[in-house]
This record gives sequence, C-alpha cells and structure tokens, in this order.
Amino acid sequence: MITATNVTKKFGPVTAVSDVSFDLADGASLALWGSNGAGKTTLIRCLLGVCRFKGRASIGGVDVRRRGRHARALVGYVPQELAFHDDVRLASAMNFFAGLRRAAPARAAQSLAAVGLTGHERKRVRDLSGGMKQRLALAIALLSDPPLIVLDEPTSNLDAAGRGEVVHTLRALKQAGKTLIFASHRPDEVIALADRVIVLERGRVERDTTPAELWPTEKPVQVVRLHLAMAREEDAAEALRQAGHAVHLNGEGLCVAVARDRKAEPISTHARHHNEVRDNEMLDDVQVPEVTP
Amino acid sequence: MRRFRGIILGLFASASVAAPQQSPGPQRQPVAVVTAMIDAAAPGSVVRLPPGVYEGNLVIRKPVTLDGGGKAVFDGLGRGTVIEIAVAGVSLRGCTVRASGDDVTGESAAIRAITGPVTIESNRVEDALYGIDLREAPGSVIRDNIIHCKPLDPERRGDGIRLWWSHGVVVERNAVHQSRDIVFWYSENLIVRHNTVTGSRYGLHFMYSHDTTLSHNVLSDNSVGVYLMYSNDIALTDNRMINNRGASGYGLGLKDCDGIVIKGNALLANRVGVYIDNSPCSVGSTGLFESNMIAFNEIGLLATPNTHSNVFVANAFIENEQPATTHGRGQLTSNVFARDGVGNYWSDYAGLDLDGDGIGDTPYEPRSLFGAMLTAEPNLRLFVHTPAQRAIEFTARALPELRPVPMLIDPAPLAVPPTVGSEIADAPGSRAPMAALAAGLLLSAIGSAFALGRERRALPVPEGNNA
Amino acid sequence: MTALASSAITASDRPLGSAATPARSFVGGIAAFARREFRDAIASRWFLLYTVAFTVLAVGVSFLSLSGVGSHGFAGFGRTAAGLLNLVMLVVPLMALTAGAGAIAGERERGTLIYLLAQPVSRTQLILGKYVGLATALVCSLCIGFGVSAAVLAWRAGGVGITAYAMLVAFTALLALAMLSVGVLISVVSRRSAVATGIALFVWLTLVFVSDLGLMASSILFRLRVQEIFSLAIVNPMQSFKMAVIVNMNASLDVLGPVGAYASFTLGRALPWVLAATIAAWAAVPLVLATILFARRNSP
Repeated sequence: MITATNVTKKFGPVTAVSDVSFDLADGASLALWGSNGAGKTTLIRCLLGVCRFKGRASIGGVDVRRRGRHARALVGYVPQELAFHDDVRLASAMNFFAGLRRAAPARAAQSLAAVGLTGHERKRVRDLSGGMKQRLALAIALLSDPPLIVLDEPTSNLDAAGRGEVVHTLRALKQAGKTLIFASHRPDEVIALADRVIVLERGRVERDTTPAELWPTEKPVQVVRLHLAMAREEDAAEALRQAGHAVHLNGEGLCVAVARDRKAEPISTHARHHNEVRDNEMLDDVQVPEVTP
Repeated sequence: MRRFRGIILGLFASASVAAPQQSPGPQRQPVAVVTAMIDAAAPGSVVRLPPGVYEGNLVIRKPVTLDGGGKAVFDGLGRGTVIEIAVAGVSLRGCTVRASGDDVTGESAAIRAITGPVTIESNRVEDALYGIDLREAPGSVIRDNIIHCKPLDPERRGDGIRLWWSHGVVVERNAVHQSRDIVFWYSENLIVRHNTVTGSRYGLHFMYSHDTTLSHNVLSDNSVGVYLMYSNDIALTDNRMINNRGASGYGLGLKDCDGIVIKGNALLANRVGVYIDNSPCSVGSTGLFESNMIAFNEIGLLATPNTHSNVFVANAFIENEQPATTHGRGQLTSNVFARDGVGNYWSDYAGLDLDGDGIGDTPYEPRSLFGAMLTAEPNLRLFVHTPAQRAIEFTARALPELRPVPMLIDPAPLAVPPTVGSEIADAPGSRAPMAALAAGLLLSAIGSAFALGRERRALPVPEGNNA
Repeated sequence: MTALASSAITASDRPLGSAATPARSFVGGIAAFARREFRDAIASRWFLLYTVAFTVLAVGVSFLSLSGVGSHGFAGFGRTAAGLLNLVMLVVPLMALTAGAGAIAGERERGTLIYLLAQPVSRTQLILGKYVGLATALVCSLCIGFGVSAAVLAWRAGGVGITAYAMLVAFTALLALAMLSVGVLISVVSRRSAVATGIALFVWLTLVFVSDLGLMASSILFRLRVQEIFSLAIVNPMQSFKMAVIVNMNASLDVLGPVGAYASFTLGRALPWVLAATIAAWAAVPLVLATILFARRNSP
C-alpha cells in the first residue's frame, strides 16, 4: 500500500527524518512510536507529499512527489487536532471537502453518520468538542472512502472518553480492511491497533518491530512512575531498558510501562542494581511513556 | 434655342444610354451639362439642377442662383477645385460638393469664390481639402453648410472655411468636421455665430481680423477652440469650448490681441480653459473676461508671465485641476480679479462668507506648492492626479513656510457660483447606457455572489445561525 | 458509530488502487478552493468594510463632483473620474494587497494550511484557487462601488463618458488583480500573517507615495530626461493605471506635461496597450513567482 525508500528531510542543518525506509502491506496497520521531536509528524508530512524531501515514497504505487495530488486521493488524513476555519458550519465543511475529494454527495451524510455526527450539521467547527472535532476529521478523511488512513496523534488532545471513541472507530476501520498509519504516544493504543511499530529516534528508524515485541507483556499495560535520586535516573533508565522495559524520563521521575500483573518488576530491577526507589505511583492517564535512550 | 434643345436631347440621350448600365446609381454626367445650363440662364435667375452627379470642375461666371435641391452632387473626381465662383452675385445652395484635389500647394477647394459678394448656403461638402474658401469676397454669406474635410493627417489638411480679405461676411450655422481651421485672414466686421466645429485643429482662428463678434459657436474636440491672433476689438459671447485637447489644447487662446471682450462663454474640460499670450499688448488696452464658466479644465487660466491689464469679473472657476497659473515663472498679479467689489467664484476657495453678502470674507490667494513646483519643473506634471500630489499640498498647508507666493489675488471672491449666460445645459445623452452599466455592474456582483457563494448541495445547510 | 462498519467502510471488497475516487481535475480543484475563498471573503469583515467604504467614498466623490456645476450635467464625468482616480489609487491597492497578504500566511498561522495540503490537491491548485476566489470577491466589491456610483451619475449627469467610465472600471479591476498578486506573493514568503500585513502596508505606502515622491526628487536632482522619467514611472503600476485611465478619457497624455506628451508621441496608439501590459505584468509575474515559491517551500 505504501512504500518509503530512504526518506530524508532536513530543515537547514537539522535532520528531522533520516533515511527512513519501510514497506506496508494492504490492510496492515503501522504505529509510529517516538518522543516529541523524533520525526513522526515530519515523516507523515513527507509520506503525504506535503513537504519536500529526499528519497522516494509511493502510495498504492503512485509517487507522492511527482503525482502527490493523485497519491493523496488514496489517503485520508487525520491531524492531531482538526484545524479548519472555525466559523464554518459542519455541513459546509463537509461540502467543501466532499468537493475537494470528489466524493459523491450522498457520501457526506454517510460519513457523518459513520462517525456519529448526524444531527450536528448546523454546529460551527469552533463549537465542537475535541472528540467531535476528531470524529469530524475522520469523517472528512473517509469521504472518498480511501484505502489508507494516516493519523497524526489523533487522540493526544482527547480525554479518556474521546480516546475510546476514536480507538473504537479506528479498530472498525482496520477490521474493514483499511490500511492505517498512525503516530501515537500511548502503548495501549498501539497494542490495540497496530500490527507493526516503527520506533523513531532523532529521525532514524531505531526499531521496526511489533507491539508484542516492544512490550512483551500481557495486556493491558499499566504505567508506573518511579521516583529515584536525580543523579541515578539515567543509569536506572538504562538498566530498565536492558531489562526490556519501555522507559520514559520526563523530569518527574521515570515512567515505565508494564503489564498489570508485573508492576513490581521495575522496582526489583532497581533493587538488583542497587538503586533505591524512594516512591512509586500507578499512573492511568498521565504522561505517556516513550522509548528513549 | 436650337442649342438648348440640343442639350435637352443630349441629356435624354446620355440618360437613355446610361440607364441600362447604371440604373441603381444616380445619373452621372459631365459638369459641362451644368455649365451649359448656366450659360443658357439669364443673369440673376435660378438654375435648378436635376438630381444627379456632375463630374469635373465647374467655374461659374454668371451671377445666377444654382440650386441643387439637395440632390445635385458635384464630384471633382479628386482633381483641383470643384466649384469656383468667379463673379459676384452668385448663390450656391442645396448641392453636395465632393472630392476636391488634395495637393496642399494648389489649395484645392470644394467651393471657392474669388470675388464677392456670394451666398453659399445649405450645401454639403465632403472629402475636400479646403471646404469653402472666400478670397476677397466681401459681404458674402456662408450659412447652413455641412463640411467634412479629407481624413488626412492634421498637418496635411486644408481649412474647413477660409476668409481672405473678405470684410462684412456672415458665417453662421455651419458645421465643420475634421478640418484644419475655420480661419479668418484680414477680414473685419464679420458675424460669426452658431457654427459648430469638431475634430479640427483650431475651431475659429482669427489672423489680423478685427472688429468682429463671435457668438453661440460650439467648438469641441479640437486642438484649440478659438484662437485669436493679432486681432483687436473682438467680442466672444455665449460660445462653448469643450474638450479641446491635443497639441495645444486651449479652449480659447489669445495672442497679441487688444480690446477683447469675453463674456458668457463656457470653457469646459479643455486642457487649458483660457490661454493668454501677451494680451493685451498695447499700452492702455484691457481685456475683459466677464461671467464665463471656466470649469473642469486641467488648467483654468494659463498666461505668459508678462500678461497684465486683464479684468476678470464674475467668472466661475470650477473644479479646474489648476485654477490659474503662468507659463513659466511669475504671477498673475498684474491682472485684476475684481471690479466694484465683485470678484470671481473659485471652487477651491476655502474661506467663508459669514456676513452673508455673497462675497467671501477673505481674499482668494491660491498658493499651491505643487503648482509652484510644476512651474519650475514642467516634467513634474506627470504626477498630477496622484496621492503624492495631495501629500505635497497637504504638507504645504501644514508648514506655512513652504507655501509659495500667491499666484493671484481676488479680493472679493464670490461665495456662490454666478449664473453664467451661455446655455450649458447640453443634452448629456441618454441616461439609459449609464443606467445599464450601473445595473450591469451591480448585477454581475450579485450574480457571482449567488453563483459562487451558494452551497453546493452535497449536504443541506440548514437555515438559521444558532449553533 | 455502529453504522461505521456497514456503510462507510467498503474498501475491503474492492481491489486496491481503485478503492478511492481519483483526484479532482486540476481546474476542478482550483474551482473548489476559489469557491471556498470567495465565500469566506464575502462573509468576512474586511470585505464588508472595504466594500462599504469604497462605495460610500465613490458615491461621495460622484456627488461632490456633480455639485457646484448647477444644472449643467456636462463634464460631470471628467471631474468624477479624476476624483475616483484618486480614490481608487488610495483604496484599491490597500484592499487588494491586504487581502492577498492574508491568503496563505493566515492559513499557515492557523495551522489549516497543512490540513488543506494533505487533501488530494496540489499547492498550485491551492494558491491559484485562493487567488481566483479573492480576485472574484475584490472585483465584486469594486463592481458594487462603481455600480452605485454609475447609478448616481446616470441619475444626475446622464450618459456622459460611459466608455471612459467602463474603462476606468476595467483598469481598476486590472490594478486590483495586480495588487492582489503582489499581496499573495508577500503572503507566501511571510511566516506570520501580521508580518505579511505589515509588508503589504509597506508596499502600499511605497507604491502610493514613496516611489512617486522619490521619482519627483530624482527627476529634479539628476535632471532626468523625459524618456527616463516615463520609463521609471510606468514601472509603478499605480502610475501606469493613472496614465491608462487618463489616456482613455482624453485620447492623449498631454495633460501630464512633457512626459505625457513624450509618451503619447512615441507610443501613439500603442500607449494604452503598453500601460495595460505593464499592469498585467504586475498581475502575472508576482503570481507566477508566488506559485513557484509556494511549490518549492520546504514546509507548509
């Protein structure tokens, strides 16, 4: 469905995406995993042909650089947060994008119904809740019934309920045979939706793997925050990674994703390395852990 | 008698011969036919020409009235003068005279009189180098003729009407188009009225021709409306000079003329309304400009810097880009802009009339900085009608030290425009096209708003604006 | 949400590639953006403000020019045209430049640009569509102002100068297109819409005042010859516009002094075309440049 070959993108001296290659089969779903600034968004923009880059990318065999318009006809794109003229009414926005995507008139209503927005046509975009906006973005993406859906952290601005709705919809899409590429911060989403995970680090493909390999745990995942002496955090994180945990250092301790039945494991790992854990807490909905070096 | 019968027979013969070939067109025959008719007529009698085209050059040597009845055509076939009147007392009327020669040196004319008086009226002149040319034909009348000259370059054209040493001539109700000038050389005591001249060089041009009244003439779209040169004691009343532009572009030009009276004229939308070049030129002489409407010109009044002793009273200077200025450096202050406490109306006068006596409370003293710059640097005229020009004038108003000396002083400017005698309320043309344009513009705006602004109906957009 | 699997998603039973509808035709995409832009424009405050201001001023100029003439409708147009000329030269470039300046930079700043570009459209389509939409809105705005003003003229002055008036409208529209192009170019190179508006105002000030004043000063200081002044002057689209309107009214530029006479003499009948071509170049070149720069931009 989509092929990337040596995709490289530089902003001046900064390399945002470096030599990324992958090939994704029809109906597969790929998660892009990485910290902020790892190059997920830039890679997505390159794949969509929205910005210039070196290398090659094609969607359904169509080169995105040379025939970007036709390549993008095969893609429905859902941004982190729908950005469209706030004054526009929902129906009007749907009409505009239906025109742009050459969708049959009936599709607009179908699409809205599919994401559960029927009845909200008169609302203005600015009056929609975050979850509704993302559902609208999804409805727009589905207008022309494209085989590939690309999502850039579609749930990061949503609360738990909103996230649930979106993940539910995406799972339905996956079941319906759509190919998915999505960037995410949340292991639970990745585990729930992805067949494959590409871990990006400073623009490079660090690992090309599966959620099961990345988090070799039973579902579901629980995040544990460990508070250690500041000076020891780096060493501790390294030790945990070597033990196969997903670790995230965010300045307020160490966040580790673990299976619910193995919550004590990080603490015992520390104990083996003679790192004293001063405190720990179970996080449900706070900072999402990431794989960092 | 035999000869007369011969002519008649000849006419019939030529008619019968020509008829089968040229039945749709008018009958064409040599102008000798007319010569013969004149020869056959008694002096002072009326020769009525049958309809037809008479080809060649005609010379009239007998004082008769030649009446074409509006259907006789004299065609010079592009050679020489078409009709020459060589004897006094001839009247020519109701003829169409066309296709004179076009050599400038030979001065070919449609109608030329070399003596006078003659009467030339209700003729139609077409495709002529000179239209009607009177040489030493005093007391003649040129009336109700329509003259179109050859469509040559302006410098190669001849005059529509020319008088040469012909005193006491009446020139009235003629319409001249696309000629060089209507020109009067050394001809005095003329009556020139109700003529219309368009598309020519000088509408009415006086050279060394004195003591004449010009009234109710309309001169539009010429290079100059009326140009008086070296001609004294001329009164211009109730004429209209409109849209005279081009090389000179004067509504009225005066060069070295004494005793001129300009009254009740309308000088509108010319490049220059009134151009005064050294007039009056004799000591003690004055020029009088009274109750004229000088409006919408680029320059209302333009004068050479030495111009003096003109009196301007009760004129309306309205919306001229520059009301009054000099050609070169200097001011107009040696002229008088009020008489007996009555000045002129200036539409750019900024003063007030608080006492309500119809006279502004402060003198009119135009001090345009941009105007002064134009005088010093004529090239800057390129920048008229620009916001930059307004910016300069605004600056000058804000900084009085930048203001130049006044171009003129009108001590008693009128608070309201005076009623000007000339009937300017011309037919402005039908309102319909302009109204149609207005409607067209508005409809196209509304139409495209409707066509492009409405929603395409993929999803119905509900009415109302609640969220 | 329950309807999702059944109706909205059908890709699975279709062969790949033909699953989605193909991208719109090139012109179709432009038209879609143009419609959107036009609709946004006519619903916006700036459009309303400019249209009302321009109409009120144009009608005011027409009334003022016609008053004081008493009963004589004559020459109303010549004067009205001169007044309108000044008004147009001030207001229309401002309108067009600021409208153009907001076109791309505004979308970029709101973050909507990337979303639009992720649709099956090209950057060229987007920028041309926006240009066409804004241009149509601007011309509509001008048509309203000139239309009402023409109605006043028809009522008060009759049909004098209809050709010249129509030409004034046409050249004003051309000037608006030119200034809109420049505005769009500014918008493409500006990161933020406030910056774009600032640059647009600076360009406006330069074209309206600074360049003329500068040329006046240089023509005096360097004793420029008429042909030099003319060549430098027509580079400014505002001057070209002014000359074109005057030449259409008077058939000659002699009212503009020696420089105008030189232009009329050397170019003759070609003069209005040369002037129109100059303004058209101001419409075409910045737009082409903006399209190229926009297409070559590294990021949205």
